[in-house]
Amino acid sequence: MLLAVVQPWPEGKQPTDAALMERILQQDSAALETLYDRYGRPVYSLVLRIAQNPASAEEIVQDIFLQLWRSADRYQIERGPLEPWLFTMARHRALDFLRLKSEKQRRREDSDSDVLPSAVVRPDPEGDIDQARRAEKIRALLTSLPAVQRRAIELAFFEGLTHSEIAATTGEALGTVKSWIRGGLLRLRESLGEAGS
Amino acid sequence: MNCEQLAALYDEYALGVLEGEERAEIEAHLARACPTCTPGVADARWVVSQLAHAAPDAQPPAALRGKIMDAARKPADPARAVAPFEKPKTSTSRSAFPAWAWAAAAALALITGYTIRQMNSQGAQLAELRKEMKLAAIQNQMLQNQLEMNRMVAMVMTSPDSVQLKLMPKDTRMPMVHAYLHPHMGVAITADQMPSMPSERTLQLWIVPKSGKPVSVAIFHPDAAGEIAMVAPVTVPKNEIAALAVTDEPAGGSPQPTTPIAWMAAVN
Repeated sequence: MLLAVVQPWPEGKQPTDAALMERILQQDSAALETLYDRYGRPVYSLVLRIAQNPASAEEIVQDIFLQLWRSADRYQIERGPLEPWLFTMARHRALDFLRLKSEKQRRREDSDSDVLPSAVVRPDPEGDIDQARRAEKIRALLTSLPAVQRRAIELAFFEGLTHSEIAATTGEALGTVKSWIRGGLLRLRESLGEAGS
Repeated sequence: MNCEQLAALYDEYALGVLEGEERAEIEAHLARACPTCTPGVADARWVVSQLAHAAPDAQPPAALRGKIMDAARKPADPARAVAPFEKPKTSTSRSAFPAWAWAAAAALALITGYTIRQMNSQGAQLAELRKEMKLAAIQNQMLQNQLEMNRMVAMVMTSPDSVQLKLMPKDTRMPMVHAYLHPHMGVAITADQMPSMPSERTLQLWIVPKSGKPVSVAIFHPDAAGEIAMVAPVTVPKNEIAALAVTDEPAGGSPQPTTPIAWMAAVN
């Protein structure tokens, strides 16, 4: 037999992201289905929150997973964890959509094509895999923040605004906005530290 | 600012809230692959990415999964990367494998069967056939990559948001290089009738900011026909760009220009 056959997964074992990406590199579309089942819902939730439009969110999510299908070779080289990469790519794509929609020309932090998996990493990702626990911590953290501080972080993350744009939107002083965001991010770090421990 | 001072800003940079000098400082460190800032920002991106979990949970439409899979399996998609074809999938993703490759693989299988039965000594020929098939797959992938790049170049060139720039050569015998600067998609560079370059040299495109040092954008070579068509991301806001410039650098590029500017265009 000349042609190697893609082997089925061992019974009861969940393939890792890296193993699925290996399969995608071999054009195994079942691996893409598994990745979609794993990340489709959180990615769609994020994109819908930013784009605020189900039809556009659907289109953006489709683009993201097709990008994954096409960029498997890049992942092979970089070997970063997939979830944060997907979230970063999804956020950038959705913010681009918002900016194009409002014909806003402000440059984003960096382009999605720039951000390789290895550019979105934390040391020892294997030790920090409890996604559900992390998600719960983050939601709890944001709920615990004062409403104005939470609003500032949401404007930054979900609407792509800068410090001064947030200050203009909220009518708060620039320095106040900066300290809200800095304080919120510090608490986010602390919270993730606890979640990962 | 030094890396220690910048470290306090990594999270805000990854969140995209930084502006002006602070953002430019971090980007300058990232552009030169600073060993402190690069992993620091990668970690910050990871932290910020986790805010995605704060989005209200939403169920994607049931049809979306099917749409993605149908699009992924479409064999005619020119943007699809070609995977190594020693390991095609034999069940559900059969249609994702290019038809020509199936035909070639089938032919190879027949040839192999014949070879095993009739001429066991012809293993070398079989290896040669495999090598040729691998080469064909690589060539096909290169063509598809070029098609994708050309598509991106066309998108940037035809966008009404792009600003067209003519990079004039210092050496008047050289052709002009065209640039199309788009606020989001980056910069597209096109040129033809370029002279060939030795492999140990490369052309490097720079953004010359209104203040600060040049920022590397891309390195590139003219192809065998002397043509250039490429798109590269731009990390400096358009209103902070004074000029685009191209220099001749050692292979792999340089952190800062090491030779005089060979082409340049001012950005208004």
